[in-house]
Amino acid sequence: MTTAVAESLSYWSMTGPRHGSDLDALLRRVAGRDADAFAVLYDRTRARVYGLVARVLRDSGYSEETTQEVYLEVWRTADAYDPAKGSALSWLMTMAHRRAIDRVRAEQAATQRESRYGTSTVDPARDVVAESALAADERRRVVECLDGLTDIQRQCIEMAYYGGLTYAEVSQRLSANLSTIKSRMRDALRGLRNCLGVP
Amino acid sequence: MTGPTDFELLELATPYALHAVSDDERAAIDQQLAAAPPSVATAFRDEVRAVRETMTAVSAATAAEPPTHLRTAVLAAVQPDVARRSRWRTALLAAAAAIVVGLAAFGAGIAMRPSPTPTMAQQIMAASDVRTVSGQLGAGTATVVFSRGMNAGMLIMNNVPPPAQGTVYQMWLIGDKGPTSAGTMDTAAVTPSTTDMLTNLGNSSALAFTVEPGNGSPQPTGKIIAKLSLT
Repeated sequence: MTTAVAESLSYWSMTGPRHGSDLDALLRRVAGRDADAFAVLYDRTRARVYGLVARVLRDSGYSEETTQEVYLEVWRTADAYDPAKGSALSWLMTMAHRRAIDRVRAEQAATQRESRYGTSTVDPARDVVAESALAADERRRVVECLDGLTDIQRQCIEMAYYGGLTYAEVSQRLSANLSTIKSRMRDALRGLRNCLGVP
Repeated sequence: MTGPTDFELLELATPYALHAVSDDERAAIDQQLAAAPPSVATAFRDEVRAVRETMTAVSAATAAEPPTHLRTAVLAAVQPDVARRSRWRTALLAAAAAIVVGLAAFGAGIAMRPSPTPTMAQQIMAASDVRTVSGQLGAGTATVVFSRGMNAGMLIMNNVPPPAQGTVYQMWLIGDKGPTSAGTMDTAAVTPSTTDMLTNLGNSSALAFTVEPGNGSPQPTGKIIAKLSLT
């Protein structure tokens, strides 16, 4: 289990030349209805997927349902994954994020969401899993990169990516005009991308 | 050639990639992209890809282990026999996820009332007005997949702790004439994945759960421990 967890935490181990192609190969097998490959894929990626979904939804029941929906969608649409358009992990995480955002917007608990808007930090998951030194390093590095953003850049990411607000809603919240918010988001992403060395 | 409209479109690549646009706006962007010069569309897609790869790297900071029972549920959904059932109505992913767990439970002979047939479950799933509702029940989750048109529903309980010996969980359909019993579950009937069929939903607006002594009560005596709205 520790091995699976350790592997599941490292972006580079999963998108790099060796393991990245492993995930590609797993997805191809899943597209061919290989349930064993699906189980391996689940174990490699579950902490990433569940962690992101739970970060957005902040409710274990919703997070479990949504995670389950994500993996059913993977099972159903694995043949639509195109390696030319991005890494397999990114395909999966994009799907997970989209479903979490759809869910959070669908929930009418607007008042509950209110309390999240103020948060300006991206806190690492509380339920920290057993992780390899490599994965711990990666987590630290990501947190450092997030710390390297300006407050408003971080707020934009927090409110939109984790809070489920549209950029227009973010601009209202922060009383900033739309172009400013779009620029802050773009700058935040460029900063993170450079800091993390994502190609 | 990049005109002002193209510039505005490119400005939206980051919010679009972050899912930070409304559904309407996303549809509008997709349309503009289809009509945009190839160089603009390519630049947009490159930006979207870079943003998504970056946030994928960032997801190291939020990684958290899911509970182990989720693995069982996810993997059960793709077993060959049930996968076939879940494919005929693939749009209903949430419902499919729930039903698949339920169908697995049928196999184990867990249902406690006159054996519900998968056909009924399939009919509910296939109904044009099928809906799902979930709520906490004890430490677990209760989900009802139901169709008003079919006048029936399917209850799936995951990880609900069994009631204490000598008591049962009793389900009540709450209608305008008050609660009507929809069956009971004793200690032995409640397992990590428990299913039941709900027939004759009538005009009920909710499904409620109480703990009742013995084999159940004609009217609820215990307090409502969970209530799922069927409206």
